[in-house]
Amino acid sequence: MAHQADARRALDERGYTGALIRGDNPLKLFEKAVRDRIVDSYYWKEQCFGLNAATLLDRAVELTFIGGTYGVAQKPTPFLCLAFKLLQLTPDREIIEFYLQQGGEEFKYLRALAAFYVRLAWEKDEEVYSTLEPLLSDYRKLKRRTRESWQITYVDQFVDDLLTKSRVCATTLPKINPRLFLEDENRLEPRVSALGEELEELDHDDEERVNGQSDESDEGQMNGHVDGNGLADSQPDHRSDDSMDGD
Amino acid sequence: MPDSKSAYGTAAASDTDFRRTWDRSEYEAKAKKEQDERRDDAKARYEAKLEGKKWYKPVDFSSLEATSARGSRLDVASMVGKSTLVPAGAGVGKRGKGAGFYCEACDLTYKDNVQYIEHLNSKQHLVNTGQSGEVKRATLQDVHERLEMLKARKRQQEEEDKRLGEVDIQARIQKAEEIDAAEREEKRRKRNEKRRKGGDGIKKEDQWEGRLGIIA
Repeated sequence: MAHQADARRALDERGYTGALIRGDNPLKLFEKAVRDRIVDSYYWKEQCFGLNAATLLDRAVELTFIGGTYGVAQKPTPFLCLAFKLLQLTPDREIIEFYLQQGGEEFKYLRALAAFYVRLAWEKDEEVYSTLEPLLSDYRKLKRRTRESWQITYVDQFVDDLLTKSRVCATTLPKINPRLFLEDENRLEPRVSALGEELEELDHDDEERVNGQSDESDEGQMNGHVDGNGLADSQPDHRSDDSMDGD
Repeated sequence: MPDSKSAYGTAAASDTDFRRTWDRSEYEAKAKKEQDERRDDAKARYEAKLEGKKWYKPVDFSSLEATSARGSRLDVASMVGKSTLVPAGAGVGKRGKGAGFYCEACDLTYKDNVQYIEHLNSKQHLVNTGQSGEVKRATLQDVHERLEMLKARKRQQEEEDKRLGEVDIQARIQKAEEIDAAEREEKRRKRNEKRRKGGDGIKKEDQWEGRLGIIA
């Protein structure tokens, strides 16, 4: 029941025996180019050798930024290397939940790492949504390394990217059904936003303004918050996608 | 020197009692054992060679321990810039102690820290240090304990920082500014002194000295 200290066996194409994710080798979730960069990096060789789910915590609490690959040579971030290690280890569900909840309370980068793993590895869409949505109320700041520079982001922004974007941190995320689809199929309850009541109030104000005056500037502001037809915004906000660039 | 006879007779010298003594018989037995082992290995290797095969030292796989992660970073920068005396063949090949990163267990030298770390992760080294290359799977309990330990360590660090250093960001900014101003003053002073001493003619040449040939 022990796992290997190194990922050599798992990366070997011939006869992989071990946990499968979506019917394939978990390490295949990362592209070949990214896999090679990770395995050749000094951080992987020195610090990710011989980790198990407990000692990985040591490395995870030392993380200071998230990110994919950066620079001309596509150097992987420690965050990406640890995510790769998690894919190799494929820890139990309860350990990942522990990372997310108790570990994440204290160490926000551990929470980001666990959320990334959940999005990649868990196959049932409902579980992904129901586990990641509570994190949308975590407002702590994260440092993100993009290809050429740094950016500041938030835990809830990162989780939202995981749920809506297709490429995050140098990986193409596996396809997931959109939330509306799952709600229609009754696999999930309709989304209750944490801002629920505030959005309703804004709606009322919006309607009053429209009925009362024709004050252009106010309307412009209101429409920025709420969807055009006045429904509370239960869909992810795609407007912000344009401003986020880089992986 | 090994004879503990003093110049004044056969009584043993008592002023050298502080010196270390070695148990000769123990070291003799150790040397004999190693010599016998080496002879047996050489014989087996020779016999295999006669048959055209290669002989590998037998490894008892069940007695190898589980591998665990490194506790500390590798020390690669401590010898940078230092000069040491090395034997004549130090630059050649991997075997034996030479210039570079030396692995005692396998008697190999590497010129590069990347090669060195790859060696430390390799099967050859793991077997030589009695590790199996397999890691024990962690249970939820282990993870829990580890997290508690890390939390405690983080608290300790925070307390230490509070005690020793300035935590207030404004005070730190002020200190940094003061240090910068002091450095600038120093530089200005030095520049003025230099200007007073050396003339203007020498200055231009200085700029290019040693810089010619960089493009080549």
